[in-house]
Amino acid sequence: MSIKLQTSGPSMKDYHCENKCTWCDGCGDYGIWTAVKRALVESGIHPYEALLCYDVGCNSNMSDKLLGYRFHGLHGRVLPFAAGAKLANPKIPVMAFGGDGASFSEGIGHFVHTVRSNYPIIFVLHNNANYGLTTGQASSLTWQGQKMNTAPNGMPEQTLNSMDFVFSLEPTFVARGFSGNIKQLAQIFKAALKHRGFAFVDVLQACPTYNKFATHDYLLEKCVDVNAEGHDTSNLALARQAAIDVSKRIATGILYQREDIPHFYERLVPRQGLKTAAVDEVKIHDITKMMGRFV
Amino acid sequence: MKRISLKITGAQGQGVNSVGEMCAKGLKRAGYCVFGYREYMSLIKGGHSSYQLDVSNDKVESTEQLVDILVCFNHHGLEKNVQEVKPGGVVLHQTPDWQWSAQQLKDLRKRRITVLELPTDSIVTKLKAKPIIANVLITSVVWSLLGQKEEALKALVQEQFGHKKDLLELNYRCVEEGFAFRATHMAVASVMLPAADKKRWKDALLVTGSHAMGLGLVHAGVRFYAGYPMTPSSPLLTFIAEIQNETGMIIKQAEDEITAAQIVSGAMHMGTRAVTATSGGGFDLMTETVSMNGIIENPSVIILAQRPGPGTGLPTWTAQGDLFLAIFGGHGEFARCVMSVADAQDSFDLMPEAFNLAEEFQTPVIVLTDKQIAEALWTQQPWNQKKAKLRRGKLVTEARQLAKLKSADRYDPTVKDGVSSRWLPGSKAATYVAQADEHSADGSVDETDENARLQMEKRMRKQVALRKQLPEPELFVGGKAAWLTPSLDLLLVGWGSSKSVVLDALSSPDLKGKRVGYLHYSYLWPLKTELFGKLAKKSKRVAVVEGNNMAQLAQLIRMECGIRIDASILKYDGRPFFYDELKQEILNLLPKI
Repeated sequence: MSIKLQTSGPSMKDYHCENKCTWCDGCGDYGIWTAVKRALVESGIHPYEALLCYDVGCNSNMSDKLLGYRFHGLHGRVLPFAAGAKLANPKIPVMAFGGDGASFSEGIGHFVHTVRSNYPIIFVLHNNANYGLTTGQASSLTWQGQKMNTAPNGMPEQTLNSMDFVFSLEPTFVARGFSGNIKQLAQIFKAALKHRGFAFVDVLQACPTYNKFATHDYLLEKCVDVNAEGHDTSNLALARQAAIDVSKRIATGILYQREDIPHFYERLVPRQGLKTAAVDEVKIHDITKMMGRFV
Repeated sequence: MKRISLKITGAQGQGVNSVGEMCAKGLKRAGYCVFGYREYMSLIKGGHSSYQLDVSNDKVESTEQLVDILVCFNHHGLEKNVQEVKPGGVVLHQTPDWQWSAQQLKDLRKRRITVLELPTDSIVTKLKAKPIIANVLITSVVWSLLGQKEEALKALVQEQFGHKKDLLELNYRCVEEGFAFRATHMAVASVMLPAADKKRWKDALLVTGSHAMGLGLVHAGVRFYAGYPMTPSSPLLTFIAEIQNETGMIIKQAEDEITAAQIVSGAMHMGTRAVTATSGGGFDLMTETVSMNGIIENPSVIILAQRPGPGTGLPTWTAQGDLFLAIFGGHGEFARCVMSVADAQDSFDLMPEAFNLAEEFQTPVIVLTDKQIAEALWTQQPWNQKKAKLRRGKLVTEARQLAKLKSADRYDPTVKDGVSSRWLPGSKAATYVAQADEHSADGSVDETDENARLQMEKRMRKQVALRKQLPEPELFVGGKAAWLTPSLDLLLVGWGSSKSVVLDALSSPDLKGKRVGYLHYSYLWPLKTELFGKLAKKSKRVAVVEGNNMAQLAQLIRMECGIRIDASILKYDGRPFFYDELKQEILNLLPKI
């Protein structure tokens, strides 16, 4: 479809896409999908004003279930693509989406360096603790001992404590949501869209087909909104503790945020004071001056 | 054409490069064309490295195996390189009490080689200077052996050390000491350079292929460079990073090659011009991304600087072994362009073209270079900056045109040449998915058989259109560009760094009058074979000249047009073709006609 002239802000309808959803009944992706659209609309972002980058997995089958400029690439590689896009045109909000399978295995190096680079992008982790699209293999976040597709005797590896790991990288924004709480999730995404640097949003979601341990009911019962309790989001140690201790309850909401740290683009000396973005600077450049040093 | 050569050898970190570079600069300013060639090992200190300069008043872009002057910083050069000195040549060294064997002495006498021992330590002690100053002392002796003027060297020294007065004085003294040493050995004849051609060379640039390529990328409008260090692509990354405050470019040293390739893909998708460079091993890691850009129809340019593989191979040496990798690397079938630079001229000129083709055909472009081109020092006339024009193909940026676009225009499979409209994220227009799954016209996933066929055919039509647009390979006869298709006794065919040494050999007195042609391929995929076919028919003999074992270009040519090239000059020992060696190989092919 071609675009209609619009004078008002965006609406949910603008993001509506005719393609049918292909997720299982009860999949957490429905909730995340709805919350993403809602956050974009409530942030006043039209579909043509944002770039949504998708990894590969059930999560990323969202790529053609809503409108907006979207990219759907390779398994585990979404973060560097999203970062490259953002740095080329910092005016455009960039959201990246990926699952726990890709992001904590093939993509884990990208994740580490995205956090330390503090690119001004958002990463939404669809965390269902398994590889859904390839029919239920263990991911590094699957609970140890679980019987999975490729581990009929139970998964022998230790489970990666993802939140402890994330906090060890000293991120500037960490939030956790639950696909069953769309309102809270949309609020988190909106805050992430406003964040100065890299925003990591861990979304716990049900996978009714392959995850028999952390079910929707389990998450519903355990998730607690700590922002409502007045959680201090400025204290890294406390936030880390709240994030990793899931024995009794699972802390959700914005767990940690600091905005006094410049993001990657702000640290680039050659870009200081420039009003243009790299996308505006494509032309044949004169190099006469630069040749001087070689005479 | 008369050419002379000098080789400086020593341990890495001893100053071999700085003496080489200083001599090169001085000689170029004095009116000579200089070609610098470095050999070194994959280590930082120690080892055995060399810097060779081949010098002429005419164009010289190759290295001879035998040299007129050999400079040895340490005894390894005396052990390993003395055989490389031409009869009548000079060996300059600074190893006190060096003892030649009786056999060596006999050999040196037989070849009329003069050995000069420079008392470096005592001169440095006398001057109360740091040992590093010996570099200027050695340069000064070499300079005088070449019959050059003391003032010219002092001017260079002034340029380098002028900002530190005491250091400048010391260096002047060093220059004087060098000339004084020469004066006590007047019996040694100077190595005679041909008459200088100041007008032709004095304003030329002295650049490595990496400098040339870096400037070419800036010229082409590249605003973003992401890369991971790997020899011989690292000097490009270093140079681009070094000039970032002048260019305003975004530089990212990525965590690996996959990241670098994905970052530049994202940046290109967004609409800027971005590039990464790597060598074979890094390119292996990038191939999945190359394939991805094939299906999402994202323009992308990757520079592949070759060194010998397989595996880690010979990290600091040269090869032309990754032609197949560039053409066939990456899963699935998709349109792509593979081109190769040959020298500093190309390393600049082909950069805007690489990006223009990438954007016009919305597909990956791979640019090959190699260690020889990237790290050699070239005497280069300032490039013509009026040649390149910006071409961005079917990129839609104008508001009214954008408003007319439909999502399904992005991958419209009905377009004749396979190139559909492209517009950038952020444009006020209908949106689409840049979709790496097989997709319908708007980028929605579509696994139906009919759609898969239509989209594959759409993308592959671009390959046909691209082939039509690419120029034929370039023919040279007698070392000069030729426009006709003459009958030849020998047709040589090559690509990449073969070019400059073949052309130097064909301009040599031994080959000048012969009917030998050289057909040079800058664009290697899709491969054009029409001109080759015509020439092959009119040539008594055809041979490829390639730095690999499999004669990869010969195989490609056969695959594309069925003509089998039975002769080949191949090299795969990490060294480039040397001028004298290649000349002999060509002569060997000739008499058999």
